Amino acid sequence: MSQPVTIRDSSAAPPSGRRRFDLFAVLVRFQSVIGLVLVAIGGIIFSPRRHGLILFLAPDNIANIVRAVSETGIIAVGMTFVIITAGIDLSVGALLSLSSVLTATIMTTAGWGLIPTVLFVVACGAAFGALQGVISTRFRLEPFIVTLAGLQVARGLALVISNNQYINISYGNGPGLAPPVFAILGDRLFNNIVPVATLVFVVVAVIATFVLNFTRFGRYVFAVGGNERAARLSGVPVTAVKISVYAITGLVSAIAGIVHAGQFNFGSANDGTGYELTAIAAVVIGGTSLFGGAGSMVGTVAGAVMLGALANVLQLNNINAALQLLATGAIIVLAAVLQSLVRRREGLGR
Amino acid sequence: MSAPAEAEAPLLAMRGVVKRFGGVQALRGVDFDLKRGEIHALLGENGAGKSTLMNILSGVIEPDAGELTIDGAPARFADPRAAQAAGVATIFQELDLVPSLDVTANLFLGRELTRAGVLDRGAMRRAARTRLEAVGVEIDVDQAVGELSVGRRQIVAIAKALTYASRILIMDEPTAALTAAEVERLFKVMREIAGRGVGIVYISHRLEEVPRVADRVTVMRDGQVAGVQPADAPQSELVRLLVGRPLDELYPHRATKLGKPVLRLEQARFTPQAARPGWQAPENVTLEVRAGEIVGLAGIMGAGRTELLTALYGAAGAGKWSGVVEIDGAPARLKSIRGARGEGLGLVTDDRRGSGLLIRDTVGRNVVLTVLERVSPMFLMSGSRERSLAREAIRAFDVRPQRPEIVVGALSGGNQQKVVIAKEVIGDPRLLLLDEPTRGVDVGAKGEIYARIRELAEKGMGVLVASSEMPELLGLCDRVVVLRGGRTVMEFPGGASEHEVLAASEANEEEHA
Repeated sequence: MSQPVTIRDSSAAPPSGRRRFDLFAVLVRFQSVIGLVLVAIGGIIFSPRRHGLILFLAPDNIANIVRAVSETGIIAVGMTFVIITAGIDLSVGALLSLSSVLTATIMTTAGWGLIPTVLFVVACGAAFGALQGVISTRFRLEPFIVTLAGLQVARGLALVISNNQYINISYGNGPGLAPPVFAILGDRLFNNIVPVATLVFVVVAVIATFVLNFTRFGRYVFAVGGNERAARLSGVPVTAVKISVYAITGLVSAIAGIVHAGQFNFGSANDGTGYELTAIAAVVIGGTSLFGGAGSMVGTVAGAVMLGALANVLQLNNINAALQLLATGAIIVLAAVLQSLVRRREGLGR
Repeated sequence: MSAPAEAEAPLLAMRGVVKRFGGVQALRGVDFDLKRGEIHALLGENGAGKSTLMNILSGVIEPDAGELTIDGAPARFADPRAAQAAGVATIFQELDLVPSLDVTANLFLGRELTRAGVLDRGAMRRAARTRLEAVGVEIDVDQAVGELSVGRRQIVAIAKALTYASRILIMDEPTAALTAAEVERLFKVMREIAGRGVGIVYISHRLEEVPRVADRVTVMRDGQVAGVQPADAPQSELVRLLVGRPLDELYPHRATKLGKPVLRLEQARFTPQAARPGWQAPENVTLEVRAGEIVGLAGIMGAGRTELLTALYGAAGAGKWSGVVEIDGAPARLKSIRGARGEGLGLVTDDRRGSGLLIRDTVGRNVVLTVLERVSPMFLMSGSRERSLAREAIRAFDVRPQRPEIVVGALSGGNQQKVVIAKEVIGDPRLLLLDEPTRGVDVGAKGEIYARIRELAEKGMGVLVASSEMPELLGLCDRVVVLRGGRTVMEFPGGASEHEVLAASEANEEEHA
């Protein structure tokens, strides 16, 4: 069935030519930003206070929030590209772990120096993602399956390389020691307030926003997800675009893995579990459609920060982890329901 | 005007039906009658209100005012199930059948017969056979519906609807995807059902079908009844009612000056790498399209029209062209879509929602999709170039409303089709391939699309149009080439008689049907 959807009668559709401010559409478009604001307000109201100081707003606490979300945030930014093409990438958490292991191993045994190590790990991540894209497009496999396999493979490689041990990073000059400058990833700058990991997140997010909205490639991504056949017939290099978006998630996972190694001073084959789901949640809350063709990078960033802020608010109030999971689940469903309402209003069904 | 001389109450009477959607007055006091055993055609352009009226009759929506009587008794349906219980059924264009289930299972979907809580397959199969016999067709009740031809699926859908529609059957464009022979069979089934006293409301876009099957026709325009006519009323009169003004020039004038051949095929043949069932490869095609010329491709469904266009466009998958295939006098490289586009080809497919538009994206972003390279120097999108190109295209095609920021899915079918064609011609192709360029488009927009195609040809573009609407081919094209089984068999000048071309197209139809 190639054309299951048809608008039955334009008399039932909104009349063309109206220029009305559509509050509902605007609300949904910025749902994650609004959600973030609401969570922040809730955080302020319910925050424990000490000497009149609202703990939620304390610089240390804010820094904690944005530091805690930086790794999944970086991944979510890449995931946004994939999901806009109507794909999915489940391998990102495992790839983060593999990248942290690679980074730690190379620094402590090969002594390559900072820049070669980073470039190599990032290239490996991108290649791993691109390979998944190639397999998925070449053999017409669902990205879900291919990246599920990729998750296992990346995790397995990480276990083999690390021998299932933490690979601790010690700093200094000499064999077996990592360059001291690498430790900066765990630091804070500007009066010890802004975490370096967060700065990396911000840089990645700014570049991604630019690429998605202001480059030809970004437009290709939307076109592939909006209607793959139409894109192909219009001359869009669909296969190359698909491979590229998986290369992007691989690349950002590697960056997140390097940040992880730098923040915690070790590489571990058991970290990053479930990050793929957190990242997907941030993207969906950010208003990107799992059906593809529509999405927003700003929304993703706000979604990621909102999840972190929510967890923080609950933690500050000593609410247990189980309830955090429940709250996160409810928010994901709410975001998805809003998306579905918009689709129905557009008369696109499904 | 057929005076309602009969004293008895009609099967269905709708009086003064009013319906508003927000600010839109969809129905402004509509009267509609249906007699027992009558096939009543309901015509109207998109937005005229015919679907709204039928949605009220089938209980999908409730009217704001007006009354509805069936057999003289007032009726009001809160939901489709209530309408079905009263004997009203609708068959939609997209049949609500499950392709993977067999015919029996589909006929009883949601109403399965059981014995002691267990499905009684035997009883259902027997009943299914009886029901299919009742509509006069032999169909294997154990076959999966997905394996049936579209025409046979239509019949299954009718049989299914008849299981609960004892009185009124609403059919929404049932012939849109059928071959000529299947249409004939469907009409026969419809007349048989009507003969048993069922009233049929028949919604169609195809004027020429009205006298062949209907008894009466109601034409709607702007939420009102524009007129009720006997089915054999002259077509020009029906068009006048549809459009609200005489439409003497639906088709533009013919080509005035022809240039060099843009496309030349001589005994051209496309061999796909892997054979696909139901895909009629171009086997032996000889034709020429000159600059400034509009050439039509006629042929029955399955003759290979769409296949020829997609193979030329490099969109038919892996395969090889042999014979002479020349663009602008030089051998063409048509191995991939990008290759064909590089040769200056553009294709508008027959399925704008499935393969033409990014339906949730804006008009502007759709229109520039084929020329992204031009609006993104150094890979960066240039907002100003994009806007000016999109505006220009929207103005040239008179897409209404003329606003590039509107989501394309919110436009009417005719305007969506204008966007699809605009998207393709914005890159100035040398040869434009059009497949069913006005499918599901109302008469007014059709005329505008034809005029624009002619205008483009006059600027030196060659156009190759495939269509199943014979009047369209003969009215629009300078020449019409007939395809049969992937071969070109005959050529007619534009304005040739419809019968001649039909005869040439269907000469061997039994073999293909």
